[in-house]
Amino acid sequence: MPELVVENIQKRLGQTAVLRGVSFHLNQGEILALLGPSGSGKTTLLRSVAGLERPDAGRIELGGKVIFDAASQFEVPAERRGLGLVFQSYAIWPHRTVYENVAYGLRLRQVEEKEMRRRVGEVLEQLGLKEMASRYPHQLSGGQQQRVALARALVYSPPVLLLDEPLSNLDAKLREEARAWLRELIKQTKSSALYVTHDQIEALAIADRILLLEDGQIQQEGTPEQIYAQPANRFVAEFMGSNNRLEGKLTEIQGGQGRLEGNGWSLWGQLRVPKKQADDATALIHVEQVRVVEGPGRNHLRMQLRSAFYLGERWEYLFAAGDLKLRAWGQEPLPQRDSWLFVPAERLWIF
Amino acid sequence: MVYQSLLSAPFFDPTASYSTEAFRYILSNPDFHRAFGTSFLISLGMTSIAVPLGSLLGFLVVRTDLPGRRWLEPWLLVPVFLSPIVVAFGYVVAAGPVGFFSLWSRSLLGVVPWNLYSVGGLILIAGMTHVPHVFLYVSSALRSLDPAVEEAARVTGAGPWRIAFTVSLPLVWPSILFSISLVFLLGFELFGLPLVLGDPAGLLVLTTYLYKLTNLLGVPSYQLMAVVALSIVVITFPLVYLQQRLLGTAARYAVIRGKGQAFRPLPLGELRWPMLALVLLWLLGVVVLPLAGVALRSVVRYWGEGVSLTEVLTLDHFRRLVGYPNLVRGIINTLLIGGLGGALAVAAYAAIALSSHRWQSPVVSLTDYLVLVPRALPGLVVGLAFFWVFLFFKPLSPLRSTLVSLWLAYTVVWLAYGIKLISAALLQVAPELEEAARVTGASQGLIYRDVTLPLIRFGLLGSWLLIFMMFVREYSTGVYLLGPGTEVIGSLIVSLWGTGALDLIAALSVVEVAIVGLALFFALRLGVRLDA
Repeated sequence: MPELVVENIQKRLGQTAVLRGVSFHLNQGEILALLGPSGSGKTTLLRSVAGLERPDAGRIELGGKVIFDAASQFEVPAERRGLGLVFQSYAIWPHRTVYENVAYGLRLRQVEEKEMRRRVGEVLEQLGLKEMASRYPHQLSGGQQQRVALARALVYSPPVLLLDEPLSNLDAKLREEARAWLRELIKQTKSSALYVTHDQIEALAIADRILLLEDGQIQQEGTPEQIYAQPANRFVAEFMGSNNRLEGKLTEIQGGQGRLEGNGWSLWGQLRVPKKQADDATALIHVEQVRVVEGPGRNHLRMQLRSAFYLGERWEYLFAAGDLKLRAWGQEPLPQRDSWLFVPAERLWIF
Repeated sequence: MVYQSLLSAPFFDPTASYSTEAFRYILSNPDFHRAFGTSFLISLGMTSIAVPLGSLLGFLVVRTDLPGRRWLEPWLLVPVFLSPIVVAFGYVVAAGPVGFFSLWSRSLLGVVPWNLYSVGGLILIAGMTHVPHVFLYVSSALRSLDPAVEEAARVTGAGPWRIAFTVSLPLVWPSILFSISLVFLLGFELFGLPLVLGDPAGLLVLTTYLYKLTNLLGVPSYQLMAVVALSIVVITFPLVYLQQRLLGTAARYAVIRGKGQAFRPLPLGELRWPMLALVLLWLLGVVVLPLAGVALRSVVRYWGEGVSLTEVLTLDHFRRLVGYPNLVRGIINTLLIGGLGGALAVAAYAAIALSSHRWQSPVVSLTDYLVLVPRALPGLVVGLAFFWVFLFFKPLSPLRSTLVSLWLAYTVVWLAYGIKLISAALLQVAPELEEAARVTGASQGLIYRDVTLPLIRFGLLGSWLLIFMMFVREYSTGVYLLGPGTEVIGSLIVSLWGTGALDLIAALSVVEVAIVGLALFFALRLGVRLDA
């Protein structure tokens, strides 16, 4: 039984269409990431679910009840939807203590004073904020403020938790730790969550399912593995991971594979879209799939090492042969001479 | 008022009939023509003084390394909070024909090189005292300008003056244009200055002509007053409309801003100290000189040629002040209307500002426009309108001689200013803070009570202090509503001016300046932004 059903949401801002008909559902206990570059409409979509934006068309159901229906002009106002929302800027009220910030939602729900103290205490304890209860937001660090925002949204156990880039204001180190911690917390509280982010690593790490948005439309929906390893189109392939890009002409087609030929090189790859012989095509392969090997073979290329960078946990190499350039990763420094590179055909996607 | 202007007699007179007689009389009256011409001349003159000086001041304070500019800034706005009638009176006793400084000048130089009671003197004083209005708009526009554009000019080799005239000031042109229309408009609304300074030379401007109309004809001729008031409105309305348009463009200009990074002020070099001297000289002229005059006059028995200052020192005027019940009441009423009335007015403004806050609909934008309308009316005209309303609208007439009538008129006159103050405070509240409460489950009313209002309470306190000062210094609005029970200091000074009781005026002025000064002190201590 899906907790949240979103059907064909459309939204225009002036002349530009921000959302061009987006539909998805969120299952009970699931974390769904809305991933996309800035301007893809993901935040507008989240705010539409929250009731802070009014879509021009579409329908939203929460827990089996319609909360928005453009056709019948029906709309449950944001304050009656009972959702939890964590803002990118946190938006914790600066004139209230941590305790008061978190307790506010319970106070509005007329929870009895004793019960309220217990529940706020429980959430603060869970988020490691117990000692901070009487502090004001400006006395907290960025990470603590972020947790207050989360506590405020979690305390009244909303059916769906909405998170708008909740980690983007933390510094890199803290962000990495917060990813694992946040996923665990959401799973522990058995919440369902809609998670907006532009950071693919964050989406891959936190979400059960990812919705990749671009230009107000869903480009692909699937598990993190599906999105990363089986891109539905060129946009998804280019957006996810670090890519090598090759331009050439298709000279041979066999089954689902095609041979892409450029100036002085030819490689077999997987045809991801229907193509004919002699078509121009673009091939993409994730940088980590290109391997340095000994000697020639099928889909092996002889290339010269142009430069190498030490990145701590790995080396990054830049190879060139004629006008062809390839990036690859490895564990050790390479000598400044020609090397053989293996480009696996099943991971070279031709669009 | 339009209706009244088309009648041949007061509108409550049963013999009144429609006629254009009032228009014909006023439009053919040479005094009206002269008053109109003088008003126009003064507006033009003060604009040409105030705008260049104010813009220059803005550039100096915001963009250059003028010594002590941080410390100086609040003082530059002090003239805004001084009652023009007190300032005018100060000039009379300080620099009038027998003023302190005139007499000292005569004994030192043999001549008095100025004549206060002339159109020239009036223009100079009006122009100087309106420099802060220009400064306010130009400096805030300059502040939102990305310093990088000036740095680019500097790197290219431009000196501070070249930068000011070729880069900074042209970029804030909409604000300068706005200031021009504002000062020009204020020129037509001048009342205190021409009343006091124009009187001895028989100079009349539109507002003083309106005020004197009753005395000139011996009978209250409401239809004539209505015509004059309308003529003022006809001139000021297009100006207000123009301002609204300009403000729109100014706001769009302000979008060009950097990341608010620190920037180095432009070095003035050798000109630093001369420029500071110029600014201080101006402050001396518009604040110290008139206030010193008033203060000095309030402690001397009489003053004239050959009088030695030490022989006539006295505190009698203040002692006599206490002897007049209406004057004492005036002081109490002033404090009441400023304190309590100011607080109520702020509450009213806050209610209006909140209702239009983040709630866009055609109705709201219409009210937004309508509340700015009183801005087009000089206080004198609004006071007159309220006087008529309370006089002839029967259910309200019992309130006429109470402070309620005065409070209503004041609140309406300062509506636009008050709304602006509250809106500025509201803009500080990030929309997410309200949205967070909404998502949590709070209704609109609860959001205002629990989030918005607590967050702007400091802004509300600041607004109250500013409104307090404005209400205390207000004088023209209360002139027609003045009666037993509704005396306030400002209106009392205006009516005392007619009787020539200089001693009492000086003492009252000192009391008013002291009250405003105290409020100003608290406002500055609390860090209230005077230029909100």
